[in-house]
Order: sequence, then structure tokens, then C-alpha cells
Amino acid sequence: MLIQSLPVIDSIDPEILATVDARADEIANGASVSRTTAALLALGSIPIALGALAKDAYGQTPSDVLDVLQFALLLEYLEAEFYSRGIAGAGLIDAADRTIFTTITAHENQHVAALQSLIRGKGATPGAKPNFDFTAKGNLPGFNFSAGQYETFKALAMAFEDTGVRAYKGQAPRLINDKAALTAALTIHSVEARHACQIRRLRGKKGWITNNSRDDLPAFTQGIYDGEELATQGGVAIATLPDAANNGGMAAYTEAFDEPLTKAQVTAIVTPFLA
Amino acid sequence: MSDRPTLIVPDPGLLSSVRSRREALKVMAMGGVLVFLPAAFTACDNNSTTPTGTPLPNTGTSLVIDFAKGDIAVLQFAYALEQLEADFYTKVVAAFGGSNLTAAEKLVLQDIKYHEVLHRELFKAAIGSTNGFTLTPAYPGLNFNDRLAVLNAARDFEDLGVAAYNGAAQYLSSTDYLTLAGKIVSVEGRHAAAIRDLLNPKSGDFAPKTFDDAFAPLKVATAAQSFIVDRLSFANLPAAFVQGPNNNG
Repeated sequence: MLIQSLPVIDSIDPEILATVDARADEIANGASVSRTTAALLALGSIPIALGALAKDAYGQTPSDVLDVLQFALLLEYLEAEFYSRGIAGAGLIDAADRTIFTTITAHENQHVAALQSLIRGKGATPGAKPNFDFTAKGNLPGFNFSAGQYETFKALAMAFEDTGVRAYKGQAPRLINDKAALTAALTIHSVEARHACQIRRLRGKKGWITNNSRDDLPAFTQGIYDGEELATQGGVAIATLPDAANNGGMAAYTEAFDEPLTKAQVTAIVTPFLA
Repeated sequence: MSDRPTLIVPDPGLLSSVRSRREALKVMAMGGVLVFLPAAFTACDNNSTTPTGTPLPNTGTSLVIDFAKGDIAVLQFAYALEQLEADFYTKVVAAFGGSNLTAAEKLVLQDIKYHEVLHRELFKAAIGSTNGFTLTPAYPGLNFNDRLAVLNAARDFEDLGVAAYNGAAQYLSSTDYLTLAGKIVSVEGRHAAAIRDLLNPKSGDFAPKTFDDAFAPLKVATAAQSFIVDRLSFANLPAAFVQGPNNNG
């Protein structure tokens, strides 16, 4: 595209450029544009007009998006380190289950890399990986990925995956004006849901969350499941839907919908795992 | 797709019925094409004496989702897919008596049937009667008594559902609807993983990709059309589609 061939553009986020480029086409076709931007375009002030256009296109500054990406990166660091240490733990994982965990480990490491790349693409620096405490400040005393601790390892995996699903879901609205970031986040979100289901089934549980049940996880994880019991969606009580009565009752009403968590709620869940 | 009228004939024997023959002659008179399906793909009731069975996919009335309606169109799109999924699992559960699915597998499929019916009914309520519609699914050749056929189809529906929501989310302008879609898509992702675990336990198949797919509505509709009698199409579909990491939407 013409705009991208201008030398002054090199330092500008290619994603914003694509948006601006598309936006410029729309404007050429008569789309509305703010008076300031129109004036700048008319004056031929390309760099200034670009900045204004970027804002027009996004309707907001990208700081929200960056905050979401950095937050997601923290969660992916947590998961990636957890599984990597699990894979490295001699005798920890049952041999028959190893493929499941090597698959998840690879995904989480690649999610880390993708988020870092998205963050760099926006001209920012990815946050550094923090140190983690997988005893959760002593809630799981002695847990250190040793042989014989497989049940605790799987329990923690379930906790992290169910948290991840709710965390991405809660942040999606903050990405609504950045379609590339939104779509990338959603394609990770549903993979986390697949992981969660697999780990839950490996532990003999349903793949979906019933009411606000943490199943057999320790009490300190209850925050991961609080709110999952919601049975009103889009202002409609599920129980009042025509076919609801014949479709599983309250258990199914709550299983059929995963619920978001706010950033503050997720932070409270994750904090015990930060050294 | 061709503009020429097409009549899909699942079984040449059907042409002996007056109604079908007349239909066929009419199509040919219009310069149309007759398509004969191999016996393997015919509906299971094709040996009935009155060959009126379930209509075949892509032969019904036109069903247009108009994106000029904004978010409502995205909900209609989701509603169409949920109608298909709910109908599929309802038929799966109804066929449990003659099926070779294990008891544990039936429990999973029963749960999924509940979830999909609830999704369908919620969208029906959210969209309202003015924008609502009833979609007619069809599964030519699918043997609902056969475990592998059912699980393979279920896997395809769930994977497609995930890719559909992931791709269509970018067309939503309401954060409330975006959140609602998010609440459903992760449950579809859980379904997909559970079905895949039944098909191929202890493998990495539950999550075959690092990033799930995000498909544009047209790609989803093309895939889903094989199971939908109504002729699904879009009006005013946004020209732009932002690809996900797999770049295959």
C-alpha cells in the first residue's frame, strides 16, 4: 500500500498502519473523519495526520491493549514455568500421560513467545518473567515437582487452566477496538479451555465447571471458581428458557457458560504463586 | 458456486417417483444439473416407500444473515450454528438405545446436548422473534448408531464452532455480546477437547494447535452448509477480516 512505502512510516506499528491504511481508503470513499484529521490530511501533514488517524481508528490509545497483553504474559509465564518444571521433574508425571503434558508445555511456551512478539510489535518491552513459588506461600507445603507429587501437580494444572480461561475472557472487552490483539487472545483463550478440559478429565472430573465447585482442589483455590454459578445470561434466567427444564437443571445451566474474572480477581488468585 | 439450478438426487430410484421426476425435468429444463449422490451418502430412510425423507443440505429456502444489522447478525450467525449443534446432539442422545457408545461417552454427550440446547435457547431469546429463524439440519449418510461416526462428526462441529466464534468476535461492537460469546466459546473448546479425548485418549489431540483457528463467517458457512438444508448466505458481510495467528480464516 502507498502509505507504507513512505520512509517516515518505518517506525510506526505495522498494525496501526494497516488500520490507518484501511481507514484512509474508507475516508477516500467518503467515510466520516474528525475535522482535525481532515484538516491535517488536507495540509499534507502525513506524520501528524497519521497519529490522528490512528486515534480515530482505534477510538482509544493502545495503553489498555498493552496492559492486557502484559497481564496475559504474566499468566503464560506462570503456566509455562509450571509445566516446564513438571516435565523436567524426574518421575513426576506418569509415563502414559507424558504426551498430554509435553503438548501443553509446548503451547504455553509458544503463547509466551507470541505475547512477547505482540508487545514488541507495539513498541513496548515485554515484562520480565517473575520468580514463582509453586507451594503458593506454603499452601502446598513441600511441593517441588518431585516423584510422588503427581496428584498435586495435576491439581495445580487444573487450577491454572481454569484460571487462564476466565482471565482471558475477562480481558477480551478491553481489546474490542484492536481486532488483531482480540483475535490472537481469543485463539489462546479457547486453547486454554481445551487444556482445562483435558486436565480435568485426566483427574476424573467433568471437563466443564459445575456451579462454583472447585471439586477436590484445596480451599485456597476457591476464588478460581467463585462466580461460575451464575445462571443468568444476557439478562435471561436460564431456568426460564423453554427447553431448560429438560436439559440438566442448575448443573447444566452453569456448565454451559464459563464466566469471566476481573484483573483484580485474577491477581488475587495468582499472587500466592509469586515469590 | 454455480447459478444453475441443481437438484441433488441421493438415489436414482427416487426418479421413479412422480414428484421427483417432475422436479428433475423442471431443473433440466432450466439448464440445471442433476447430481447423483453415491449410496453411501444417502439418507438412512431412502428405502422408505414414499421417498419424502429429510431434504438434503443446501436444497431449502434461502437463509440470509444481513450484517447491516450489526451485532444482531453475529448473534444470528451463532444462533444458526447452535441450532445445528443442538439438533445434532439431540439426535445423538435419541439414538443412545441402539448405539455402541460406552456409558462414559454417553454421559459426556448427554452433558454437551444440554449445553448446546441451552445455548440455542439463549440466542433465541436474545435475538427475539423478529430476527429469529428456524434452521433445518440434515446429516446425509450419518449413522447415529455408530460410535465413531458420531464422535467424528461431534469433533468437527465443536472445532468449527470454536473457529466460528473466534473469527466472528471481531465483528461485535458490544462488549456485553463479546463477553457472552466468550462465555460460550470456551465451553465449545472444552467440548472439542472432551470429544477428541474420547477419540484418541492420552494423546495431544485434545488441543491439536497452539492457537485455535479463527474462521471468517463465509468459511464457517461453507463448512456448515453440508449439514444445513436452508441455503445459508450473508448480506453486507464486512470486506475486512483480521486473521488470527494461524492465518487461515
